[in-house]
Amino acid sequence: MRPSARNTRNRDTRSAALGIGALAILGGAAILMQRRTQPKPRPKPRRKLRRSAAIMGASMLVDSAMEHFRGGFHNKAMLAAPVLAAASTLGATARAPHMLPVHATSVAVGAAGLGFHGYNIAKRPGGFNWDNLFYAAPIGAPGGLAVTGLLALASDAHTARHGRMLAGFTALATLAETAEVALLHFRGAWHNPAMYLPVTIPPIAAALLLEQALHPNPKTRGAARGAQRLMAAMGVVGTGFHIYGVSRQMGGWHNWRQNAFDGPPVSAPSSFIALALSGKAALDLMEGAP
Amino acid sequence: MSPRFHAPYPGWDILDKWESPSFNDITRAVLRRRLTEVHARRFFTPAEWLAVQALCDVVMPQNDNPRPVPLADWIDAALHEGRSSGTRHADMPSPRDAWRQGIAALEAEAQARGADGFANLERDAQNAMLRDVDDGKVSTEHWHGLPPQRFFRNLVLAEIVAVYYAHPTGQSEIGYGGPASPRGYVRMQPNRADSWEAPPGDWPDEDTP
Amino acid sequence: MSHAHRPRAIDGQAPDVFSRDDTVPMRQFADTDEVDFAIVGTGCGGGVLAAKLAEAGFSVVAFDAGAFWRPLSDFASDEREQEKLYWLDPRISDGADPLEFGSNNSGRSVGGSSVHFQMVALRFRPEWFAARSRLGYAIDWPVDWREMWRYYDEVERACAISGPLTYPWGPDRGRYPYRAHEVNAAGQVLARGAEALGVDWAPTPLATVSAPRGKSPPCVYRGMCKIGCSTNAKQSVLVTYIPRALDAGAEIRDLAMVTRIATDRQGRATGVEYHRDGQSRFQKARNVVCAGYSIETPRLLLNSANARQPTGLANSSDTVGRYLMVHLNDAIWSVMDDEIRWYKGPPSMACCEHWNYIDDHPDKDFDGGYAFMSQGPLPTDYARTLVTNSGVFGHELRRKMALYNRMAGLKMVGETMPCADNRVTLAEETDAFGVPRAHVTYAHDDNDRRMRRHARAFMAQMLEAAGGRDLLETSSTAHLMGGCRMGADPETSVTDSDGRTWDVPNLWVCDGSLMPTGGGVNPSMTIMANAARIADRIKTLCASGTSERAHG
Repeated sequence: MRPSARNTRNRDTRSAALGIGALAILGGAAILMQRRTQPKPRPKPRRKLRRSAAIMGASMLVDSAMEHFRGGFHNKAMLAAPVLAAASTLGATARAPHMLPVHATSVAVGAAGLGFHGYNIAKRPGGFNWDNLFYAAPIGAPGGLAVTGLLALASDAHTARHGRMLAGFTALATLAETAEVALLHFRGAWHNPAMYLPVTIPPIAAALLLEQALHPNPKTRGAARGAQRLMAAMGVVGTGFHIYGVSRQMGGWHNWRQNAFDGPPVSAPSSFIALALSGKAALDLMEGAP
Repeated sequence: MSPRFHAPYPGWDILDKWESPSFNDITRAVLRRRLTEVHARRFFTPAEWLAVQALCDVVMPQNDNPRPVPLADWIDAALHEGRSSGTRHADMPSPRDAWRQGIAALEAEAQARGADGFANLERDAQNAMLRDVDDGKVSTEHWHGLPPQRFFRNLVLAEIVAVYYAHPTGQSEIGYGGPASPRGYVRMQPNRADSWEAPPGDWPDEDTP
Repeated sequence: MSHAHRPRAIDGQAPDVFSRDDTVPMRQFADTDEVDFAIVGTGCGGGVLAAKLAEAGFSVVAFDAGAFWRPLSDFASDEREQEKLYWLDPRISDGADPLEFGSNNSGRSVGGSSVHFQMVALRFRPEWFAARSRLGYAIDWPVDWREMWRYYDEVERACAISGPLTYPWGPDRGRYPYRAHEVNAAGQVLARGAEALGVDWAPTPLATVSAPRGKSPPCVYRGMCKIGCSTNAKQSVLVTYIPRALDAGAEIRDLAMVTRIATDRQGRATGVEYHRDGQSRFQKARNVVCAGYSIETPRLLLNSANARQPTGLANSSDTVGRYLMVHLNDAIWSVMDDEIRWYKGPPSMACCEHWNYIDDHPDKDFDGGYAFMSQGPLPTDYARTLVTNSGVFGHELRRKMALYNRMAGLKMVGETMPCADNRVTLAEETDAFGVPRAHVTYAHDDNDRRMRRHARAFMAQMLEAAGGRDLLETSSTAHLMGGCRMGADPETSVTDSDGRTWDVPNLWVCDGSLMPTGGGVNPSMTIMANAARIADRIKTLCASGTSERAHG
């Protein structure tokens, strides 16, 4: 074939094809494994929730540390986010009651952070407009810290009723996360077709989970579980995409001090893995696993 | 009269980033030549040369620079190479002729003010004379139709600043970021700088509210 | 200096602009092949036309006097080195208000001035296409605004413009292909000032991508757009339409200076005389298109005079070279309390078109309009502005330059009126090829002066509202428009609305010199949109037999 002089979308379409292929294999394997390993005892919901909180916390730690470093920590309160994310991540490995003050603080600071970020957006010229939503403090990000704290606290859940509540909460958190992804991928002009995946799969997973929360139905629970597994696989593939995304910025990883910040955030997609674990834990609880 | 120069970014040197991603190969090559290839005088005559050096010194006093930028040498080189700006004002001869004519006019003007030449005037008298040139308060017979202000601003001043602020010394002095490719900048907000930019500057009171 | 001294588009290969040293295949034509179109110039006019005509199946050779750069390996972070992008051959500048050329408005590269433009991608206000009949000044374009706005859509998509989701002025323009960039500190000065005065502002639509686009990485905000983008984030003609033209089978001849258009006894163009690599050559062509911009296009036509057309080719109306326009480019600069560091990011990230869209206001004492943008000049550019406008030198100069990181500026792009006496003629002095240099005469009129006064006062008010102190006013002009204007009347224009000259049916003009009026916005998108439109018109004319001429 004659080499082309013009700029083309080949890099995007090829990487999207590769990524979607990888997702199909990984997600398919995850769903199939679920069937096969049915008789074997699953990890307890508590362990899943702790792992979920730890992954979410680690993602928040990296994200808030980097973003607040980018902001020069000009407000000392900006230190609170990575510090608490670190504490909640470590704390998630211990029994929740001992760590209650830590996780509760994470929830409170995350909620307060929403206010700080809202203020940061509002004070820029133009106020609450699209451009400031794109580039000022990310409006929903502190919610991730609150979610971390709540997931860690939820690891004591042990009844089916707890499971329903957790399913509802996880579904709503997934939708919030989807909204943030939609905003940022819109900012990126959906330049890679695969950028539509994290605004497609998570809402489906959230809807199936929400259905279980509102009307527990063992018949469709398998589908809900499969969707959670697919979403977790998407978190893995998404991380790969973001690593590739940084590499194709000017200067690539060699210029990481710019591109790790201006490029796609490498730690972000893993939050979907955390939410998927939480969703599965919720379904486990509803099925009676303590 | 003119206040002493206070450097707002002491210690900032864009050349410290030579090996960093802020520099690419072609920029290193260009700057290496700029820093090392200083040609001996080829265009100006020895007599003109004294005046041109004095002129550069008055326009861009560099007595505080440990490594002064060889301004006169670069002007000489540009004229020797016939570097052009794309514009020739109808009331101006070619840059080479304009410089020769203008330097002769400055010398004649200095002589009318009682010195051997521009280089031999006291610094204050040099400053005053250049201000007069800029204001057109000069004897027209020395200038032979060359517009004094256009010569002074569009050739002398424009060329001197074009050399000085294209040099790492001039760029570092004002806190400019310097070469930036492949790495550009991340922090775009006021009062925020990346770690590969000059740290916050410090200005004397007269420039600060 | 690492200038390209020898042509690079040779032996069936052209530079791959997305690589450091690779090439891509290029179709080549012999001088004796009578190609469908010989296009002189490869910028916003010629580059767009070459791509679209080649894609329509025509045989095309596009000439450029400048070099064919590979930005990744050829463009240094250095103002002095990058002067290689400009047209530095002297033009003689005359008149009451002589113009500056070179880095100010004239490129000399494959891709033309778009290689060093500041990427401001604005549209003409619809009414400007009918300035005489709807606003009462200057002259109407021979094209309807809706048609032009459709072509803005086309070229904005082709250049993946990054622009705001809502644009405060004019009719709805749909969504820009890419999102606007984060407005830098310099742009926020304009924004805060505008909000303090209660007028609208917007992130400037820019021709540099805010997210990856194939082989173009997103902008890294190095701020050196005016000296050439070394990352290919900038969507110049060099990285958009030129590669398209190559793919479609057009030949690009770099470092090829066209000196004359030849004509036959019937007065039809037969091809172009040009110099390349030390040789004098002649390319046969069925059609010749001038796309050298407002100085070189008139210069070429005037230099191509023949016995039948002794005052210059296509010049029976005596309009070639006339009605040359610029934009008022006066600026206000001020010291801010904050460190702005305006060298970061594209130079003009925020804009205000307030006075482009106001007709009846007691304060508005001028015809036409002006926009203004935030500024971010590189060190020598700013220093030159400072000294040529104020004459400052000595320690005072160094002190003023030491405030570089705390400066902010607002600079206007103001419409000037088309005047017959603002014109390009041929000088007696000749260049290295023996072609007479361009002699350009320019003077502002009273309307220009009123607008300049108004804009200076308004921008000063806005800067002060944003907290600026120690204001400095500077005067300048930017851009070139007109010089071979199109029109509905052969007596007062050089070409019809298709860019086809009234006098020579197979001679065309396709660049900024066609513009009958200049508008109050940067012209590149308008030149590109017009070129895209002309390409489609040529396709239509050829499909229906070329004898049919557009009426106005």
